Amino acid sequence: MIGLVDGNNFFVSCERIFDKSLEGKPVAVLSSNDGCVIARSYEFKALGIAMGTPYFKLKPDIKRLGIILRSGNHELYADISRRIMSVLAEFVPDVEQYSIDEAFIWPAYENNFDWHNFGIKMRSTILKWIGVPCGIGFAPTKTLAKIANHIGKKSSSGVFVMPSNIKNVIENLPVEEVWGIGRNLTDKLKRKGIYTAWQLASYGDEKLHKAFSIGVARTAMELRGFQCYQEEDINALSQSISYSRCYGEPVVDFSDIAESVSYYISRAAEKLRAEGQRASGINIYSVYYPEYKPYRLDGGMSEVIVPFPTSTDDTIEMLKAVKPHLQKLFKQGRRYKKSGVVFWGLERGAVQLDMFAPKINATNSKLFETVDKLNARYGKRALVSLSEGLDKKWLAKRNMASPNYTTDWNDIPIVH
Amino acid sequence: MNKNKKHAQIMENVVMAGFPSVADNYASTPLDLNELLVKRPSATFFVRAMGESMIDAGINSGDILIVDRSLEAIDGSIVIACIQNEFTVKYFRKKNGVVSLEPANENFEPILFKDEMQLQIFGVVSAVIHQFVK
Repeated sequence: MIGLVDGNNFFVSCERIFDKSLEGKPVAVLSSNDGCVIARSYEFKALGIAMGTPYFKLKPDIKRLGIILRSGNHELYADISRRIMSVLAEFVPDVEQYSIDEAFIWPAYENNFDWHNFGIKMRSTILKWIGVPCGIGFAPTKTLAKIANHIGKKSSSGVFVMPSNIKNVIENLPVEEVWGIGRNLTDKLKRKGIYTAWQLASYGDEKLHKAFSIGVARTAMELRGFQCYQEEDINALSQSISYSRCYGEPVVDFSDIAESVSYYISRAAEKLRAEGQRASGINIYSVYYPEYKPYRLDGGMSEVIVPFPTSTDDTIEMLKAVKPHLQKLFKQGRRYKKSGVVFWGLERGAVQLDMFAPKINATNSKLFETVDKLNARYGKRALVSLSEGLDKKWLAKRNMASPNYTTDWNDIPIVH
Repeated sequence: MNKNKKHAQIMENVVMAGFPSVADNYASTPLDLNELLVKRPSATFFVRAMGESMIDAGINSGDILIVDRSLEAIDGSIVIACIQNEFTVKYFRKKNGVVSLEPANENFEPILFKDEMQLQIFGVVSAVIHQFVK
């Protein structure tokens, strides 16, 4: 069985850990530069406001609807994510982090194990120790685990275990809700009479391979319970951009870790660019074996979470940002099994000309030409680059950010 | 003296003229505050105490408290609780089924709970850090 654990409305849940006044209220978190909605509480969803709604459209209705907005606090989210992954690693030997708040877990248990109870124990531990409610799904394949996770989230226990009669569960599931089936593909599938997940699963793998791609055929197999996406496979699906590989033999040198990670970053960045996305940051992890001689040491995982100065799809910028942190992945004396990288804070769409970002690219003359023109037209240094300093209040693009409760001594919560 | 800067090794045991040190048999690592005070990093948070309500327990205004959310609160534990969306630090008391939060200062009143479920405990305070030099 494979498990999928993910945080409910993760960014909002993180904000609620230390600010209880947000409980039960319609809360949303905004993307960088307070652009648009990237996370919503259930109460916010109930108001019918869609993901991706721009902030300026919400502004006039804030008071009327009673909504509360927060600027993204990625330092906080990264820290909470790290904690959750750490707790999962106490329950299972293999945790495959997939995004900032999701992980596939690979428990080492036999059949006849009480998965539901196990899920409940994990969920309540994460809720107690960290304060984030999670959904957990167990199933024989990654694709089914995703479905189980969604069902689990809606259930009262938060946990769902895929029964052996898979057909019952996915018979009426719309095919567009299957992992990896996007809108374009859904239209094409519907033209072939495939509307539900079970219809996809039973269509015929060869036919699917011919008509679409091997990816779709694999998804169909996974829906029937046959594992195609192993732990070490490239994540071939567009909602997550990650890259990980098991090492051919245990790695013991830092230079090999650094080199392989750099390679994974460039491959993952290719995928990012191919989809027209940019990432706000990256998680890098390395998994090491347990040792038995000269004395027992547990296996585990080292991880670094690196926010980028500005969201980017440029490999060079990413490698620059990541370089000073790589050493944290490596402990002398450990033998490494695999490493992986996962982008987070993905943003789609046209290039956001972020005028307030630090001057990263030396050949940004065109950018600064525009900045100068606008300054001239609107006068009085209407726009300045971030490198000139953040202290100017009117420059603040994170007006509604919560404190860095867990990463800055000046921001730790006050108790009376 | 090895002037080659490429080999920057910290020699923990100085080798005396040809004789290996008996101390080589003993692993030595410096004392680590994290090891002492943060037993479970994933569940440990830091908060700052303000006010005098727990002064008799040795918690002064401005002190940092180490909060372990994995610990169970028992009668006499110092806990962080959430009351009306604000965090407070008090003794957790549970006697004969009655649950209350007690201050450690005679000038403050305890808070009683009719129903234990109403009391939201954030975590148990495992240590207090009082810095004389900041």
